[in-house]
Amino acid sequence: MTSSHTHHLQVCRTCGGGAPVDVHFCPSCTKILTLGRQGDYFSFLSLPRKLNLDPALIEQKFRALSRQFHPDYYYNATPTERRASLERSSYLNDAYRTLRQPASRVAYLLEVEGVLKPSDHEAAKKVPASLLEEVFALNEELDDVREMRASGAPEDAWRARLATAAGPIEAKRAEHEAQLQELSTRWDALQDGDDAGRQAVLNALRERVLERNYINNLLATIEREATGTGGPQL
Amino acid sequence: MAYSSKVIDHYENPRNVGSLPKEDPNVGTGLVGAPECGDVMKLQVKVNPETGIIDDAKFKTFGCGSAIASSSLATEWLKGKTVEQALAIKNTDIVEELALPPVKIHCSVLAEDAIKAAISDYKKKQDAQGQPAAGATTQPTA
Repeated sequence: MTSSHTHHLQVCRTCGGGAPVDVHFCPSCTKILTLGRQGDYFSFLSLPRKLNLDPALIEQKFRALSRQFHPDYYYNATPTERRASLERSSYLNDAYRTLRQPASRVAYLLEVEGVLKPSDHEAAKKVPASLLEEVFALNEELDDVREMRASGAPEDAWRARLATAAGPIEAKRAEHEAQLQELSTRWDALQDGDDAGRQAVLNALRERVLERNYINNLLATIEREATGTGGPQL
Repeated sequence: MAYSSKVIDHYENPRNVGSLPKEDPNVGTGLVGAPECGDVMKLQVKVNPETGIIDDAKFKTFGCGSAIASSSLATEWLKGKTVEQALAIKNTDIVEELALPPVKIHCSVLAEDAIKAAISDYKKKQDAQGQPAAGATTQPTA
């Protein structure tokens, strides 16, 4: 995807006219535009690039566009328009799915701002220094739980132990959510042109997002243990 | 992947697994994580305040066989060494001894980091007590 800061023109496949990057219908011939160059999910839905977005507003924008793009309306249209309707509907669904959830919204923002590459999610497998203590303690607890199960301890006993093990990680997640919320509010309040401020908030957000991914991995590990599909790996 | 017989031996019969009292002023604790694979390793040394020699070392590692073997070997080597000698242990010594393949070299780096972290924790504790760490200086501390 190209950066949304560069204002490419789209070309109308029906009349050959030019159109600004974030409009969906040709200004000259009013036909739906095929999806060539577009900005990003935020601009596609004409939403500001902010983190605290009103869910009702996202829903409203999605529904309005969804109606306009719906393939049923293009049943008798030209192949170009039918293709355009499918392309815009499908991109719209991706945009909506991504922006609807605050977690994927912040990850997407970091991607379009160029501070988080999809491959960086690999980094979520690494132990962040701030989490070493918790990770170590959790591993010890999980070992104990496995031992309890191996020696035939009653289920409610090892489940209670597992719940104790999850406690600090869940507390950490709650702390993270609060930090993310605070940073999101700071991001939304930033003024245009405050590049240093933007970069600082983006970097802090990136760290939080990667840590959160790791915390979620830990909680998934606990969940696997609870359902009996976990186990030590060589 | 094929592990060397020494790695397998340390993995199956790890030496010195366990914990030392973290609050003991003569115990240094190093807790490190491997950025490559998410392993965590805890390594502790107990220094004899009279002689400045490490007379006990323990580890606990959650990770792959090479990480466990590297830390197990490290604790074996640490015992009987002075703090300064301990700091001279290099990850390449561990690689050589265990015949670690290139993809597992980071496990030996982790073990070296754990040694350094444990010693640094020990020295910090000694400094906090207002006395030079045993074995940390070349001057005898009468």
